[in-house]
Amino acid sequence: MAETIYLDYAASTPVDVRVLDRMREVAERNCANPSSTHAAGREAQAIIADAAVQLAGLLNVDPQTLVWTSGATESDNLAIAGGARYRAHRGKHIVTMKTEHKAVTDVFEMLAKEGFDVTWIEADTGGRLSPETFAAALRDDTQFASIMFVNNETGVIQDIEALGTICRERDVLFHVDGAQAVGKLPIDLSNLPVDLLSLTGHKFYGPKGIGALYVADRPGCRVEPILFGGGQQGRLRPGTLPTDLVAGLGMTAKVASTHIESDLEHLRDLRQILWNGIRDIEGVILNGDPDGFPGILNVSVADIEGESLLLAMEPLLVATGSACNSRTQEPSYVLRALGLSDSQAQSAIRFSVGRPTTRDDVEFAAGRYRDAVARLRELAPGAVA
Amino acid sequence: MSADPYNQAVRDLFTSPAHAGGVAGGKTVLADDQGVRVELSAGVAGGQLSALRFRAWGCPHLLAAAEWVCSHYEGGPIGALEKFPNARIMEDLAVPVEKTGRILVLEDAIQSLGRSLDH
Repeated sequence: MAETIYLDYAASTPVDVRVLDRMREVAERNCANPSSTHAAGREAQAIIADAAVQLAGLLNVDPQTLVWTSGATESDNLAIAGGARYRAHRGKHIVTMKTEHKAVTDVFEMLAKEGFDVTWIEADTGGRLSPETFAAALRDDTQFASIMFVNNETGVIQDIEALGTICRERDVLFHVDGAQAVGKLPIDLSNLPVDLLSLTGHKFYGPKGIGALYVADRPGCRVEPILFGGGQQGRLRPGTLPTDLVAGLGMTAKVASTHIESDLEHLRDLRQILWNGIRDIEGVILNGDPDGFPGILNVSVADIEGESLLLAMEPLLVATGSACNSRTQEPSYVLRALGLSDSQAQSAIRFSVGRPTTRDDVEFAAGRYRDAVARLRELAPGAVA
Repeated sequence: MSADPYNQAVRDLFTSPAHAGGVAGGKTVLADDQGVRVELSAGVAGGQLSALRFRAWGCPHLLAAAEWVCSHYEGGPIGALEKFPNARIMEDLAVPVEKTGRILVLEDAIQSLGRSLDH
C-alpha cells in the first residue's frame, strides 16, 4: 500500500506509546485472573483498581461508579437495555434522537419490539437538539433518555448539561454516549446531571476492546445486567477482566487528562486550515455545526459521486458516512436526518484529525479534495471539453 | 484485512482514463438510469469508430468500465457495437453483482450509439 495520510481519527486512534508501555508491562508481569484470591490475582485486582482511579480522575467521579466493558457498543447496550428494563415497572416510554450511533438506535429498536414506546427526536438542520424540543418529547411515563455527547459523523456537540437538568427535574434516567467526547472534551461528571455515560478506549489513543460505563451513585440510577455467568463487577457485567487492557485504559485516561486543552487547540487550528482550503469550492457545504467538535469536519459537495470521490482522494484515509456504515454505500441516515438530500449525503466525506495530524497533512488533504472534485466534475456528462 | 473493493484494472482505468472527454463534431448519446449517467461521443471514418470518448457520473467501477469500453471499441467497425461484452467486463473489472445494473446502463449507451450511427 502506498504511503497514506490517516484522517479517520473519529473511527479509531493510534495507541499512545505510554499506554502501550503500560499494557506491555502488565501483560508481561501478571497473567493471573483478577478474580483469583492468590497473590497474583490480588495484584491483578490492584492494577485494575489503580486504572479505575485513573479513569475516575479524568471524569471526576468515584472509581466505584465505573463498570468495565468491551467498548462503547457494549456500554451503550448495557446502559440502554439495562436502564430501560430497570425502570420498566414505572413506565415504558423511552426517548432518543434519530442521529444517534447504531449502538444506540439498534438497542432502542430492540426495546420497541419488547413493548417499549420509543420517541425518536429530530435534530435541527445543524444537528443540535434544543432543550425545548427535548422537554416536549418527554411524557409523564418517560423513564429513560439517551443522547450522544458528540456526534460521530458531524461532530455536533449537544448541550448535555441542559438536557440532563431536564431529566433530573422529570426523574428520567439519562444516558449519554460519550464515545467521541471522553478524553477529547473536558468532562466533569460531578457537575453534570448525567446518570450513565458510555466510553471506549480506542477513540482517545487507547486500546480497542476495552471501555467503561459510568453509573451514577444516586437513588433510582441502576441498570439490569445484560450478560450472565459470574459475579464479577457486582454481577453487573460478569466475565474475566483483561488486566492489561484495563491498565491501558487507565493510562489512556491519565495521558488524556494532560492533553485535552492542547489537543483541542491543535484540532481547531487543523480544522480551520482544512475548511479554509476547501470552503470556496462551488457547491461545498459543511454538514453539522460549525462550532462542533473540532476534530471532525464533515462536508458534502454538489454533483459528485461519493465512492468515486473517496477513491480519487487516495492516499487520504477518510470516511464516507460513518465507518460503521461505510461498506453499505447507503447514504448516511444521520445526514439524511439533518435534511440533506440523498445526493448530498452520498457525497459526504468525514475528515477527522487527531493529535498526530500535522499542518502539512491537512494542507495536502485540502488540495487532494479540490483536485478530486475538479477531476470528477470534468469527467461528468455535461462538462465542457 | 478485508478485500480491496477495486482490482488493479479498475484502479488503473479510473486513475488514468485515456478516453475521457468528448469528440468535437462527433455523435453523442446519453444514458441516464440506476442513479448513474454515461455519455458517449464517437467520431466515424470509413465505417470505423475513429474515436470514442466518454463522460460518466457514477462509482469507480462504472467509470473504469466506460474507459474499458471505449478502448475496446475504438478503431473497430461500427457494427461491433451490436455486441456488448458484459460478462468480460464484469470479470475483468471484478464488478460486484449488486452493480450489474450500472454496467447495463453502459450497455444501453453503447446500443444507443450503435443505433444512432446506423441512421
